[in-house]
Order: sequence, then C-alpha cells, then structure tokens
Amino acid sequence: MSTTTPTPARSGAVKAPGGAPDGPGGRRRKRSMGKQNLAGWLFSTPFLVLFGVFMLFPIVATLLMSFTDFGQRHVRRPLEAEFVGFDNYVKLFGDEQFLKALFNTAYFVVVGVPLTIGLGLLVAILLNNGIDRARTFFRVGFYAPVVTTIVAVAIVWRFVLDPSDGLIAGLGAELGFTAPDFLGSETWAMPSLIAMAVWRNLGTVMVLMIAGLQAIPAEVREAARLDGANAWQELRRITVPLLRPTLLYTTVITTIGYLNVFEEPFVMTQGGPSDATLTVSLDMYKQGFSFFNMGYASAMAYVLFVVIMAITVLQLRLMKDNTK
Amino acid sequence: MNRAATTAAVAVTLAAALTLTACGGSSGSQASADSKQTLSVWAMGTEGEKLADVAKVYEKANPNITVKVTPIGWDVAHQKLVAAAAAGKLPDVMQMGGSYMTEFADMGALEPVDTKTFQKKDFFPAGWQQGEYKGETYGVPWYVDTRVLFYRTDLAQKAGVDKAPATMAELQQAAEKYQEKADTKWGLSIQPGGLDTVQSFYQFLYSAGGEIVSKDGKAVANSPAAVKALENYGSYFKKGLSEKSVRPGYDVTKDFNNGSVPMFFGGPWIMGLIDENYPDLKGKWAVANVPADETSASMAGGSALTISADSEHKAAAEEFIKYLTDAKGQADWYKRTKDLPANVNAWETGELATDPNMQIWKTQMESAKVSPAQPKWTEITSKIDSAIEKVVQGKASAQSALDAAQGDIEGLVAK
Repeated sequence: MSTTTPTPARSGAVKAPGGAPDGPGGRRRKRSMGKQNLAGWLFSTPFLVLFGVFMLFPIVATLLMSFTDFGQRHVRRPLEAEFVGFDNYVKLFGDEQFLKALFNTAYFVVVGVPLTIGLGLLVAILLNNGIDRARTFFRVGFYAPVVTTIVAVAIVWRFVLDPSDGLIAGLGAELGFTAPDFLGSETWAMPSLIAMAVWRNLGTVMVLMIAGLQAIPAEVREAARLDGANAWQELRRITVPLLRPTLLYTTVITTIGYLNVFEEPFVMTQGGPSDATLTVSLDMYKQGFSFFNMGYASAMAYVLFVVIMAITVLQLRLMKDNTK
Repeated sequence: MNRAATTAAVAVTLAAALTLTACGGSSGSQASADSKQTLSVWAMGTEGEKLADVAKVYEKANPNITVKVTPIGWDVAHQKLVAAAAAGKLPDVMQMGGSYMTEFADMGALEPVDTKTFQKKDFFPAGWQQGEYKGETYGVPWYVDTRVLFYRTDLAQKAGVDKAPATMAELQQAAEKYQEKADTKWGLSIQPGGLDTVQSFYQFLYSAGGEIVSKDGKAVANSPAAVKALENYGSYFKKGLSEKSVRPGYDVTKDFNNGSVPMFFGGPWIMGLIDENYPDLKGKWAVANVPADETSASMAGGSALTISADSEHKAAAEEFIKYLTDAKGQADWYKRTKDLPANVNAWETGELATDPNMQIWKTQMESAKVSPAQPKWTEITSKIDSAIEKVVQGKASAQSALDAAQGDIEGLVAK
C-alpha cells in the first residue's frame, strides 16, 4: 500500500500547476473549480442522502430525545414530548438496573477482550507455523462461527449448556462431576456467554492476525534465531512488537463490539437470571422497545456512546506505536 | 458554490427527514358500508393464518368488500403496530390483546366501539373489560383465554390423589404426593423467573385476593394478600417441588408427557397441543379449575378486534367485526381454531355446551380477572417478575421483594 498511495497525489500535484498557466484569467479557473465541486457533491449525493436519513437524522434525533420524556403516548404526537433537561441522565445513575448493566458490560469486556485477542493470536501463530496439514480445514473451522447466524449458534450452545441433557452435563456425568446449570445460575451465566462470544469472534481476530504475521519479514526472524533467540523470546521480542498495528486494530474493534454486546444475552438469557447478563445494549432495548421509554433509552445510548468513545481514545493513545 | 451545495445537501436531508416523520394524521372521508372497498386487517399468530379463510367466506356473502388479511408474528407485532401508529398507517381492523389496547387507546390510535351495536352483556365480562379505558370501550372481544390446572390422572392414582386439588393447600399436598409416591421429578411446574413470570403468578395472586394495581389505579403490590400469595409461590421452590431454573423456550408439555412434571397451569391451546403431539397421553390427563385460596380466580387474556381511528372504512369494519363476534361467527371460529369464544351465546350449543372440559374453561373464565388498564402495564409487571425471581432464588423475603416492587410501581401507574 505504502508505495502505491502517493502516486495519485503526486499526479494531482503535477496537474494543478500545469493547469494554472493556460487559464487566461482567474475567473475561468474558478468556474471550473466550481463545476468540479458540483460534480463531487453530485457524486456523493447517494451517500449523503443515505447517511443523512439513516445515520445523521437518527443520531441528532436521539440526542434531542434524550433530553425529553418521549414515551409511548408521544408516538402519534411527537411534539408534545416535554423537555426535561438532564433528568434522564440523573435518573440513569440512580437506576440500580442500569448500574448493574454497566457492571455486566464491563465484566464482559474486561474478561472477553483479552481472551479473544490472546486466543486469536495463539490460533493464528499455530496456523501460521505449527500446523501444516489441514490448514484450510482449521481456518474454516475457526472462521465458520463468525459467519453463522446467531440464532443457529444459540440453539447449538443451548444444547451444549443444557443442565439436564446437554453436552457438558453429559460429559460430566461420564467423568463423575456435576455440571452447573450454566445459563440458570447467576455465577455461571456471564462466563458462559463470554465463552460463546470468544468462540464466535475468534475467527475475525485470527484472520487479521494471520495477515499481520505474514507481513513480518522473514529476515527479522532469521536474524533473531541466529542471535540465539528461543521460541518464547521470538514471540515476545519480534512477533508481538511487529504485530502491534494489527493488535491495536483488533483490540479496538473487539472492544467496541463487546461494549455493544447485545445478541448473545438477547438470544440466550434475555438478561436473566436476576439481571446477571443484562448488558447496557439489552437494557436500552428493553427500555426503548418493550416499555417505550424512548427518552430514557436515548440517554442510555449516549452514555454508552461516551464510554465507547473514551475507551477507544484511551486505547489508541496507550497502544500507539511510539517507535515511529 | 460550495456553500450552496452544502445547503442543498442539508435541504435534501431535512426534506427526507420530514417526509419520514410528518406523514400520517390524514383523516379522509368515510366510505359507507355498502360501497365497494378493501378492508385491511392485521391478525397475529394462528389467528392471522386462519382468518384469511373466514375472510373468503365473508367476501362471498358481501361482494362489495375485499378483505385483505395480513398475518403478523406475535414477536414483531408490537413493534409493527407502534411504527404503523406513528406513521398513521394502521390497518382498518386489528387484533389486539388487553395491554395493547390500553397503550394504543392512550395514544389516540383507536376508534371507540359503538356500544349499541356491540353489547357488553353478550360477552364474558373479563373479555369486555380488557378493552375499557377511561370510560370508553376500544375493542370487541374476539376470543378469550385463561389458565387452568392441567394434571396427570394416571399418576394421580399412583400418588393417591383421588380428586383434583380444590384448594391451594391441597395443591401443595398433591405436588408432594406426586413427588413421593409417583416418583415424578417435580410436583408442579411454575415459572421461576424471566419475562412474564407474572403470568404464572396471577393464579396465586388473584386466588389469594391480591392485585398489583387496584381498579382505582393505586399500586397495591405489597398488600398482605399479595405477600401471602408470593410466599406460597416461593414455597414450591424452597421445598424442591418446582424447578428453579427453566431455560427460555421451555416446553412443559414434553415433561408432562414423560411424567417428570405432573401438574402445570396452562391455556386452552395446550389441549390441542397435547392431543396433537402426544396422542398416547389421551385419557391420562384432565383439566381442573384453579385451586381456591380465598376464591378461585385465574388471569383473563385473549384478543379483541379494534378499529383504527384513522380508518376510512369504519362502517364496513364494524360490519366485519360484527360478523366475527356474533354467536354464529364465534362458534365457527371455535371449530377452526379452538380459541375460546368471547361471546357467551356461542357457548349454548354444540361441543362447547356439552364437553365437561369446556365447562371448566367456562367457569374459570367467568371469574377470571383482567389486568387493570395501565399504559405502562408491561413495565409494571416486569417489576413483579423480578420480585418473584428474587424470592424463588431465596435472595429476599416475599415482603421485602414486594415492598421494593411497590416502590417502583408507584412511579409507573397512570395519574
């Protein structure tokens, strides 16, 4: 990429001074610039319209709504919703359920992200070096969960986790231990969902990591080996530092995804038992679409947005490549 | 130029936004009942599938009317209705449950029912009351639904239970006997937690004489009767008579068939389900009225037919609803769906009048209690759901769990 990108920029730079002398006056140039601009705007209209209608408008509307008491009865008379200032936000931080949802989301992210990244890296390294045979088979195997619909995944996982005749319970019975009721117990429900999410997202991380690994020049490794580095040292001193951009990217993307976690608890537990798997997104969905407290749910959305923003900026700062 | 283009882009966006929000609210002219027109009807679940057949019969008798039935899944029904209401695009006729009716009446999306054409006395009171909101009636009851006790008669014999439990005390004794003598895994299946656990709890609550919100709109979730009912409910879990964790989508009829659950509370559709899926079970089970505490009272559910306030075919819609809810139409509907007719006159002939099982449903329906008309009812019951869950898991006493729920509900009842 780095060798190809400058080319169009350079040719553009050449064109501009070349175009300047043949214009007799400034006016013609201005007009053609205007025409170019217009063409540019016209070409981006499809995007602008779609972005405006489906992104910008809802984003602004949600922000406005979060300062109102918009509820069910305002559906047909949206303008009757009353402005309540920061009431929704104040209420949020006294809402036990929301605080629990925040905690659960943090739990999910703090445990889930390192696991996903760590396992993804491990699998990528194994596939890149260790396993020669059936490499495609393993790659497909690890990537298949990413492209499988969550509904199908949920059915399979529910069967695996079923306390009476599930796969783990069955294995447990053979080996002489009793499996806990994974989705029914407050202690085990969240770890079960994390395990499922890790399994589901491993593939994406793995693919990105393999691409990153293959971009590491063989000479560097060779040099390290000649200097007598063992496998662990090679991983720590060569692979991980050189993978830094990939690691940063996957961590940021996975963190954002996990902060927004919704599908797993929605299909598996509906937030139960006793709100043990209620995440911020699920709480928002319940408030917004089950109870129709749109103003309140919008406030939640903005709190989550600020949290995601802050964490992402922090990650970008902390993990920035300082060597360049 | 640049600024002009920006302005244009903003204008386009705004225009699109306005068309999205500003449509609807058109109240056109009314078509008379005998002019040529198309009625749009939304119905949910099984009803949505079967209604098209009835519509065909109706079209033959009324050639000027075309009925367009759109079946909608229950899982998406609420969202679709809200979206349609917001856009002013509700169909002429809609099937709606009690809590929906209160919500949409509160929104101003429903046309009040003409109480001269449809008379209160023709319907189960619990069916009729579901459509009442602030002095008006917004729906004509189409079918009703309640819960009764299903129990295994063959296992009852083994357990030494010689008749259906008639009181709440007998219910618990029966559950214990089933477990001890008939070796069933559980005694009674009731929901331990999660969404709509309250539907399992209503039988206990109403029979004890308790309520969540009283008729005059006061939160009474922690009344002594309600606390007693929840203590009773919780005791089944404490004694190991009921399963403490049930996965989502649990099908009780499977365990009823294999004998691990000998008793549960179920709706009328369960009878068809058992007959269809477990024909071998025939003759080994029966239904009984909800065991009495202070009284025997079950919850009332079901659906009504409503007319959209924006409809331009109100007269024809009323005719169609009349056809569906008179005694003849109701008896025909029962044959097609096994839904319990809301019109009491339909119960005077045929299988509905003679079948002893159907009589149980009828008596239960007569005393069944309706959820009060509260626009935030779903949110209110979710507080009860979590109170029940706390008690079932042994994390709080019935009193403290309901005290907490009471506090939340007080902020949710309509003023």
